[in-house]
Amino acid sequence: MSETPQPKLKLTEVSRLFESNLALAPTSISINEGEFICVVGPSGCGKSTMFNIIAGVLQPSSGTVEVDGQDITGRAGQVGYMLQKDLLLPWRTVLDNICLGSILHGKASKKEREAGVELAERYGLGDFINHYPAALSGGMRQRVALMRTLAMHRDVLLLDEPFGALDSMTRMAMQQWLLSVWKAEKRTVVFVTHDIDEAIFLADRVVVMSPRPGRIRDILAVNLARPRGRDVYTAPEFLQLKDQIMTYVYDEKDSSDAA
Amino acid sequence: MQPEKQPLWRSILYPVIAFALVISLWWGSVEYFQVPRYVMPSPGDVWAHIMSDYATLWQGFQVTFMEFLIGFVVGAFSGFFMAVLMDASKTIRGVLYPILIVSQAVPIIAISAALTIWLGFGLAPKLVIVALVVFFPVVVNVLDGLRSVDSDLLRLARSMGGNSWSIFRHVKMPATLTPLFSALKLSATFSVTGAVIAEWSASTSGGIGAYLMQANSRLNTSGTFAAIAYLAVLGLVAFLLVILVEYLVTPWRTKPVVPRWSTRFWQK
Ligand SMILES: Nc1ncnc2c1ncn2[C@@H]1O[C@H](COP(=O)(O)OP(=O)(O)O)[C@@H](O)[C@H]1O
Ligand SMILES: [Mg+2]
Repeated sequence: MSETPQPKLKLTEVSRLFESNLALAPTSISINEGEFICVVGPSGCGKSTMFNIIAGVLQPSSGTVEVDGQDITGRAGQVGYMLQKDLLLPWRTVLDNICLGSILHGKASKKEREAGVELAERYGLGDFINHYPAALSGGMRQRVALMRTLAMHRDVLLLDEPFGALDSMTRMAMQQWLLSVWKAEKRTVVFVTHDIDEAIFLADRVVVMSPRPGRIRDILAVNLARPRGRDVYTAPEFLQLKDQIMTYVYDEKDSSDAA
Repeated sequence: MQPEKQPLWRSILYPVIAFALVISLWWGSVEYFQVPRYVMPSPGDVWAHIMSDYATLWQGFQVTFMEFLIGFVVGAFSGFFMAVLMDASKTIRGVLYPILIVSQAVPIIAISAALTIWLGFGLAPKLVIVALVVFFPVVVNVLDGLRSVDSDLLRLARSMGGNSWSIFRHVKMPATLTPLFSALKLSATFSVTGAVIAEWSASTSGGIGAYLMQANSRLNTSGTFAAIAYLAVLGLVAFLLVILVEYLVTPWRTKPVVPRWSTRFWQK
């Protein structure tokens, strides 16, 4: 590789201790602008802890988080964050939920609301801006949650198992949709999932994590051409990567069973 | 969560039938068993009494209604603020909770007697009694609502750069509305009872409770029943008023789309 550009997101020796439990051992990673990174690993390996630290809602025990070379450690509001639960406010309309970032900063201006409407229209929810979330399906709610994250205009999006609660049909549709959004919006995405297929299908690189203590086990590049169709699931490279990730995961299981 | 939908004509017709049934049963048995008037008047007697003393009863209704309304609003707001304080500080919560619990063990009628000594015979002691009736359930429910807001939601709001005030205002406070209104619905009719009890301790207010007491002491049974009828209506009005306000304040519980009259409605 020639000269490496400045990473979009950079973690340097970030760790977190809860009492005597090392939830995240010192971890470093550099993520480039526009990259799609998936993080897989069994529960309890520190994925959400890492996200909370990047999002600035949890203080690390050590280490620094940088975006565009700027230290943002412990500062909230610098990246977009989305969780498995849609966490939409039931008493707000779809439009207000999309504009929640501005509302929390005081008030959503007319311009920001118009941008929210445009976002909803662009991604197929134009007819629902005045609906309450309770009237929407799970997939639609999750799309609103992502639009809420997009409307914050942050370059880095942290998605913590965003499709984990959806049925597999909706989930596949949402994966395709997310890729189209990613392509159109040119954001940098870090995406946590339990699903190894999902990780390989979406990612440029897959980060495999292990528990006790939570740490990065390996980082694997996915060199499958985009756009990816359903046929990638049977591509040799896909199967090889899957096999390798499974080995990491089951390795870990065996050693913990023995312990 | 929402009550089972039934056609409007049914939800009106059934109560009307039930009401008519009670009245005819009452009237029938009074006539059939030849019950003396001073023991049990017939609905006709009560109606006649209401007609003859219409002005006083209406005046009394208004007095008791205002006692209810003002006391209720004061109690609801102070209960809400108390809950917010208790949510904000562990110390405040630790100190106040036992006091609140013990205060609930004291019968309202005893408090009412003491309040008359301190606050006199005017409006004040009535308002305090009504407010006290609403206060406790509101504190408990609102506190519960504040504490049960999803911690992931709070974390998300913080990650979006919200400060404690904006998170309180847009995330925590609206989450208390549902438990708040269930407390208000529960205590609406009981706070009318509170107003009546307060009037009994200091019966110069001219409210329906005082009217009831006077009629009763004169063995004026028709008057007593007239007052009871007015109190039943008052309790119903109190309850319906809470339902109406709830309907207006929490449209998302009953509707899929924000109403057009709301400022939240976005007109393209
Ligand atoms: N607020 C907390 N207090 C104490 N321990 C925590 C807290 N959050 C997470 N942990 C612990 O840290 C470890 C990693 O958790 P988490 O980051 O949620 O894992 P993952 O998201 O990969 O499932 C777990 O052992 C968990 O019990
Ligand atoms: Mg997690």
